[in-house]
Formats: sequence, C-alpha cells, structure tokens
Amino acid sequence: MKRLNWIQRMLGLALALLATPAWAVEAAEAGGEVARSLPGWWYIVPVAAFGALFMAWYFYRSIITCSEGTDRMKEIAGYVREGAYAYLRRQYKVVGFVFFILVLFLSFMAFGLGVQHPLVPFAFLTGGLFSGLAGFIGMKTATAASARTAQGASESLNKGLVIAFRAGAVMGLTVVGLALIDIAIWFIYLYFFHHKLVGGDPMNLETITVVMLCFGMGASTQALFARVGGGIYTKAADVGADLVGKVEAGIPEDDPRNPATIADNVGDNVGDVAGMGADLYESYAGSILATAALGVAAASVQGWELTKTFTYLSAPMLLAAAGILLSILGIFVVRTKETATMKELLSALNRGIYLSSILIVVAAFFIIKFLAMPIGVFWAIAVGVLLGIVIGKGTEWATAAEFKPTQFIADQAETGPATIIIGGIAEGMLSTWIPVMAVCFATMLAFGLNDGFHDLLAGLYGVGIAAVGMLSTLGLTLATDAYGPIADNAGGNAEMSGLPKEVRARTDALDSLGNTTAAIGKGFAIGSAALTALALLASYIEEIRIGIHREIASAYEAPADGEAYTVKSFDHGKYGFYFAGSDSSRAGNQNWTLSAFEGSGKNAVRVTIDGDVHSVIINESGHRAKAATTATDLDGKPLVATKAGLEDFMNYYTITLMNPKVLVGVFLGVLLVFVFSALTMKAVGRAAFAMVTEVRRQFKEKPGIMEGKDRPDYARCVAISTTGAQREMVIPSLLAISVPIVTGLFLDVSGVLGLLVGGLTAGFSMAVFMANSGGAWDNAKKYIEAGHHGGKGSDAHKAAVVGDTVGDPFKDTCGPSLNILIKLMSMVSIVFAGLIVKYAPAIGTWLNITK
Amino acid sequence: MEPKLYLICNRIEALVASHLSAEEFGTYMAVGSRKNNYGWVMFVEVDPSVANTYPAAAEAIKRCEVHSDGQPRRSKYGAIYRVMEHIPVSAYGKLHLVTRDGRVLALEAQPYSGDQDSKGPRLYQELSPVTPMITSSLGPAGFIKFITDPKNLVSVPRILFADMLADREPDGRLAGYLPYTNPGHICDCLDDVAANPDKKMTKTVNRNPDMNGFFRTIRKGFFLGDAQEMKYYPYPSEDEMDDQHHTWWRSASL
Repeated sequence: MKRLNWIQRMLGLALALLATPAWAVEAAEAGGEVARSLPGWWYIVPVAAFGALFMAWYFYRSIITCSEGTDRMKEIAGYVREGAYAYLRRQYKVVGFVFFILVLFLSFMAFGLGVQHPLVPFAFLTGGLFSGLAGFIGMKTATAASARTAQGASESLNKGLVIAFRAGAVMGLTVVGLALIDIAIWFIYLYFFHHKLVGGDPMNLETITVVMLCFGMGASTQALFARVGGGIYTKAADVGADLVGKVEAGIPEDDPRNPATIADNVGDNVGDVAGMGADLYESYAGSILATAALGVAAASVQGWELTKTFTYLSAPMLLAAAGILLSILGIFVVRTKETATMKELLSALNRGIYLSSILIVVAAFFIIKFLAMPIGVFWAIAVGVLLGIVIGKGTEWATAAEFKPTQFIADQAETGPATIIIGGIAEGMLSTWIPVMAVCFATMLAFGLNDGFHDLLAGLYGVGIAAVGMLSTLGLTLATDAYGPIADNAGGNAEMSGLPKEVRARTDALDSLGNTTAAIGKGFAIGSAALTALALLASYIEEIRIGIHREIASAYEAPADGEAYTVKSFDHGKYGFYFAGSDSSRAGNQNWTLSAFEGSGKNAVRVTIDGDVHSVIINESGHRAKAATTATDLDGKPLVATKAGLEDFMNYYTITLMNPKVLVGVFLGVLLVFVFSALTMKAVGRAAFAMVTEVRRQFKEKPGIMEGKDRPDYARCVAISTTGAQREMVIPSLLAISVPIVTGLFLDVSGVLGLLVGGLTAGFSMAVFMANSGGAWDNAKKYIEAGHHGGKGSDAHKAAVVGDTVGDPFKDTCGPSLNILIKLMSMVSIVFAGLIVKYAPAIGTWLNITK
Repeated sequence: MEPKLYLICNRIEALVASHLSAEEFGTYMAVGSRKNNYGWVMFVEVDPSVANTYPAAAEAIKRCEVHSDGQPRRSKYGAIYRVMEHIPVSAYGKLHLVTRDGRVLALEAQPYSGDQDSKGPRLYQELSPVTPMITSSLGPAGFIKFITDPKNLVSVPRILFADMLADREPDGRLAGYLPYTNPGHICDCLDDVAANPDKKMTKTVNRNPDMNGFFRTIRKGFFLGDAQEMKYYPYPSEDEMDDQHHTWWRSASL
C-alpha cells in the first residue's frame, strides 16, 4: 500500500511538471536584466537522475542487508575488498596528481592565455570526480555483493541471480544517475546562476553546451586511467596466477593456496567494474553533451528561435531520462526459475534488455512528438537502439562457443598453439565486419533519416542522437555487464569457501552467463564509442568556432566616435569586427565582437579592410553585437545574417584528403592506436612478469603453502599488481593526452581532424578485433574444457591455454582501453581547441608549413 | 612412530618407508620437497609384515628413524626397480592417487566380479612395472592372467594397470572429451583387436604415452595382480568425484 502511494505521488509530480507552461524559455527583458526560466518538463531530467541514484541506493541497501555467509566467505570477500580499495586509493593518488597538473595547465590556458572559457578547469574536475565516483560506488557494491551472491545461490539460483544483477544495477544506475545529475546541475548553474555570480550577460546556449562538453575530458581522463590501470592490474594478476599457479604448480582456479588468487579476484573488480563504469560514464555523458552541442550549433547556424533551439538541446537529455526510468523497469523484470538452464538465464537478462529497448523506442516517439521535432530524429533514435542490439548479438556470435567462429578456433587447437593463434587473429579480424558495418549503416541511416543529405548539421545531430538512443538504457546494459565480475567473484568465493556441490553448480551457471554478458558489454562500449566519436568530431568544429571567436574578441578595439565598427585583421585570414558597447568590463568583450575568416560561397560577405576588399565568412557573433548591429557588407547583405557552416570550416582549414596535414594526421591517428596498444600489452607483460616472480618466490620461500601449512601473502601480490598497474599506465595515458595537442600545434586543425579520423577508424576496428579475438580464444578454451578436442589436459587444451593467455591482454586491457583512447583524443582536441586555434598558425608560419 | 611402507608405482618402482601417514606422504612426494615429482604420483600402501619375507623392506623399516630433532622421517628408500614382483598381492593396501598440487585420493580394494560387465575391446594403461598403452580383447582379469603368464614370450611377474575410457562417437571417432594423443590410431588398434578377438589378445597402442589428463580417463578403476590373485581398486564416477572428492577432482581434472 505504501509503495502504491509512493508511485501515485511520483506520477502526480511528473504530471505537474508536464502541466507547467511548456515553452517558458523565452528570455524576458526587464530593466536590462534577463529573466530566464525552463519549461516544467525539463525538470524530468534531474528528477530521473535522482531517481536513478535513489534506486541505486535502494538496491545497494537491499543487497547489503543480505547475509554474507560463513566466516570463511566473509574472510575471502574481505581480502578482495581490501585489495580493491588498496588499488583504488593508489590509483586515485596518481590520477589526482595528473588531474592537478592538467587543471593547472587548463587554468593557465583559461586565465593566462585567454584561449579557453574560465569554467573549463572546473568542468574538467567535476567530470573526473563524478566518473571516478561512479567507478568507486560500482566497485564498492561489487565487492560487497560477491559473497552475498554466493550465499544467495546457496538458497536458490534466482536469489543468486537477483543479488548479482542488482549489484550490477547499482553500478549501471549510479553511472547514468551521476552523469545526468552532473549535466543537469551544470546546465542549471550556467543557465540561471553563472552570470549572477560573476556578472555580465547570461551565457548563451552555444557557450553553455561547449563548456559542458569540456567536462567530458575530465571523465575521459579518469576513464582512461581506470581502464588502462585496471586492465593492466587484472591481467597481470590473471596471467601471474595462471602461469605459476595453474601451469607450473598445477593448482586449480580460485585455490586459496595460490598467492595471486585474491589479486585475480580484485582484478575482475577494478578492470571490469570500476574501469567499465568510468568508461561508459564518459560515453553516456559525452553522447548527450555532444548531441546537445550539435543541436544548438544547428540552431545557431540556421538562426532558429530560442524555443526550437532549446528542444534540440534538451531532446538527448529527455531521452536519457526516459531511458533511466525504463532501465529501472527492466531491472525488475530480470528473474529466473530454480531449474533454469544457461539459455534460460540468458533469456532472463535479455528479457530486461529487450523490454527496455522496445519501450525506449516507444517513449522516443512520444518525446519527439511532444517536442515537435522532425520524425527523422525519432528514426535516428530507433536506429541507435537497434545498433546496440546488433552489436551485442554480433559480439555474441563472434565470441560465444555455440557459434562457428569460436568452434573454428577450437578446431585449430588440434594442431597446436601456432594455429590457434593464427585462427584467433583471423577470426578476430574478420569479426570486425559486423560492428563496423553496423556502425556504417547506422551512421548513414541516422544521418539520412534526419535529412542530413540536405542539411549537414541536422544529419550529424541524427548521428549524435542515435548514439544517445543506443546508450539511453545504459543503466540496464551496464548492469548486465557489471554482473559478470560479480558472478565470477561469487564463484571464486564459493570455491575457496568449500561450499556444497549444488551451490557451486549455481554459481558456475551464474558465472558462465557473466562471461557472455561481459563480452557483449565490451562490444557495446566500443560501438557506442565509435558512434559518439562521430558526434564529437562535429562538436570539435564548434569548439574551433568558439576558439576563433575568443581569440579575436580578446583583442577588442573600440571603434572611433561615429564609426559603426572597427575591423581588425589577424594573421592567417581571421578578422574581428568590433562594435561600440559599454560592456567593456567583461573579459574578452565577446558580446560586442563579430569574428570572421576568409572564405567564399553563398555565406560570404564582402567587406573593405585596410582599403582592400575581402570576402569573409562570419564565424561567430557575440549576441549583443548580433542584436545591436544593422551593419551590412559592400553588397548590402547584413553582416550577422548567416554564420559559418561546417563546410566553411572545412574550406578555411583546407580539410581535404589532398592536404598532406590531414593525411599525416590520419597516419598519426593510426600510429597512435598501434603504439598505445603495444605499450599497454608490454605493460601487462612486465607487470605479469613481476607477479610471476613474486608467486614463485612465495612458493620457494614458503614450501608449506602448497601443503596447506603456510598462508600465502595475498597482500604482497595485490601490492605488486597495484604498483605495476600504476607505474605502467602513466606513459600510455599521457601519450593519449599529449598527441592530439602536439599534433594540433604543428599540423593545425586539419591535422587534428585527420588524427581523430585515423584514431577513430583504426581504433574502433582494432578494439573490436582485440576484444573479439580475446573473447573467442577464452571461449574456445572453455569449449575444449567442456569435452571437445580431448578436453582438459589434452594437447589441444594446452594450445588453447596459450591462446587464452595471449587473448587476456587483448580483451581486457588493449581492446577496452582503445575505446577510451578514441573518445579521449576527441575530448582533448575539444578542450584544447582554443590553444590550437591561437598558436598553431604561428608555429606553422615558423615552420613554413601554412597554406 | 611406526614406519609405514609405500610402493611408488608410477614412472619408477620404489619401496619407501616413512613416518608420514599416506595422505601426508602423498602431499610430500608431490609438493613437499624441491626434488619432488613433476606431475602426479601414485603409490600403494604395503603391509609392513612383508619385511619378514622381503629383506629390502626390513632394511627400509630399520633405517627409517626419527630425525634427531624429533621430526618424523618422511622417506627412506628401501628398494628401487623390480620391487612389485617381491611383494605378494595380499600385502597391498589402499592405492593413493596424488595430483600435481599434492591432493591425495585413497582407493580401497574391492572384490572384482568378473570381466563380463562390458564388451571389449578394452583400452588399458599399464602403470607398473612397464608403461605401454594397450588395447585388448580380454577383460581385466583375463588380461592380468595373460600378461603375467610366464609361458608368454612377453610377460611380467606382477602388474598394475588402469582400465581406460575408450568411448566412441556415433561416426566411430574417439569421443571428443578424451585427451589421448593420436586418437585415430587408438581407434585403429581397438578395431583391429575387435576384428580378431581370439587371435589378437593384445595390441600395443603406444610404448610410452604422455598420459595427459590421466585421472580423467579412468573407466572402471585400477587392477593389481598376477596369475593367482588380483586386487581391484574401483574409481568413483564423475558425479561421486564432484560430490565427495571435489577438491581432489578439481586438481585432478585441471
């Protein structure tokens, strides 16, 4: 009854919000002060975000009140928890230091060089903070849930499934809740309060969206460290535990005599839970913000009214909010019967995913109708949702033992390790066709269905919102993903605690399901990164626009008395038009500036500068300048009529394949993917070597370990993996951050776009290849262990173990890290766009490589 | 501390006296010393009264003294090579199977009720004193009689061997879960023996197989005996293993 009342109250609140004036965004001038308001429906966004966090807390409470089992189970869970916290403490110290340096650098750019909005360092910090917090909460829940899942499984299969899945749901809902709350708080602050706190005019929507987009870099940076560090940690522990424990000492998996076994269990949490959470937090927030920025850019270029602009800004947020509510519904649907087979368990999870996917498409239809947006936007969303399912299924096909690719790899094991490696690499490469073609089709469909072939920005908005559609039910899909390591740890706990056969059978079933969902989750993360990256590419151009404008506005020269404006020529074909105004107290005087660059075509205006006639494209206009000036060009065209479109930027920066800077950028992007992969693989090798040495040392110095008379030093192995991961993650991570900046400074915007395209295309394919090869090798080994090609102990099995070991860093370190690399490169480019715009031309002139 | 006698019977025949219990001795042999075995170990308990008739056993027991610090002596070798033939079948006690990581499973001898329970051909892995893999048309009891019959040109005085799984797929191939090397050749040998059951009692499959995943491949159990007497050590089913000997079974089936 109480629950019913609560639901009634929530419905009442929702209706009240919808009933408020829908279009209350119009700014009202009142004595020079601009009064701002938001339509009532917009508040569904923060309400849904809080709802997600509330449900995450509710699920957490429901898990934490369950029994953790016997003292032995608690002891083992305690070791894993301690190790996980020790790792995170260390990781946050290193990341904190890197963030400190980056914030100093960003602050210097903002306050010293004036090439960035002053809020960017703060946005960067909150992105990193929330991303880290999402990972931390996910891991806290996962480490609390493993023993409880095992204990739950001792009561029934369904109880084990529900505990593990709801623990995963805590992660999923925390990620989407924190991301959306971060977006909502920033938006409310920038929209309502920033100008009141620091003075000046209210921030326009273009600036709001591009400032908010910058918090994506904080999230990406945090995610990269989490993924790379977590990936190195987990595989160093896994490979170390396997090579000495299994291969040398003949100890089975999850045997408490193996000193690295706790580190191995910790690794599942830090890699697949904390790392995945931080990763998808960034994808989720990035896709929403990039799409919002694209929507505002489209409105800005086409001169839409504020109301329409606001709908394009809000649609991705509203879709995400609906996705949260449907994810919560989907979570409640996941349950199973006691005698469930593996197939039925998978069906239980799929039921939740399919239900929420269908409902989000339905909800999207009504949202688009309600916002009076073109139906093409709805179709783009539907394409995105479908893409998520296709990529998930494609990954399952490429990696699950029931399908031909993995069985082919298992067949290759019959002839030894060399052929299984060849087979795995070949199948992994071939498997890229499904997600790559799916993303290609989805991109073209989303672009075309939203009229992209007639209106470029609208098409790109379609691609962006397709990514939002794909990620809209992330709360649920991430729950299925985080479920994997929880079930895996529960299996380990059951084994180490010596639980009865029927309990182990249940935890094994839950674990097997987790292996499949983890592979699907990785494919989903990579696919969403690819689609989001395309939207980020377009957003990058918007940052270039803002960067040019900021550079020009910072050199404001008031016009002489009687003159309408002053024109100032900058190097490299950039021009500033400065209008008279009294708001000179504001840094940059952007409100009284019109920025432009050389260009021709239908958007060009002709003006006289220093006695010569120039054809220029208006880049951006401060909105007071836009409102105040009626200035026209030589042909009588109003100066502020049309702003530069994406094509104009392409022309200005000569972004064509014939420009060697673009081509070199593409090569550098591809090179970065390979170098980054190599560095992370070598890092795993080195960290695993240290682990192997330590485990061997313990066996040698404490012979009683094997006889069960001595206790292994688990903490030492955890510390070795932690230290190794922290040490090894720094160089690849710094490389990912620095290469886009250095490329930009030397090769300008054209080189950066080449870099991003090269990195995106190579990185996406490489990430899919590595994740699928690794997953298929792993499952080929399991397929053999299940009784094919001689089963355990056979020569084929030995070959499969080699394949699985090679595949470990493929699927759990390099592959997942690459999707962050793709996004981080875009984010770094976006955040540092102002720096590139201002200084790259000067460096190019010095090197004599300007056009 | 009374010394016990154990006969190690894989790779090497060795009679060892020890103060350790059978389980401790097994773990010690597998992982308790730097000179330990690589791989699994198999040994049989031997009745110490055999010392009355076998001088090497008496000498081993005599030399098996407690260490000066009071620690038990873990192993004192009494004899290696051609040991089994000196110990009567009746003196053998439990058979112990030790995994690479030192887990020990004890098998108790039980009466064997004949060879008629399954139709041949059969696959045997000889373990001591010789180690080829054999296909045979004979049941275990018949095989022991045959191989220990001194009238045969090739024979041994006493033998320990395992009855191995040789399940076939419907298309005739050896079952996929069996880890034997060169499964096609095993099938050929099985078919060859089956085609000539009276003419061809045994056929050597492999003179010295690598015995990958050996503990997963035992069908009925182990047989120790000679022409007069035999002991049968039944091997638990997979379900029993998982249920009652889970820890050992996990290590054994690694």
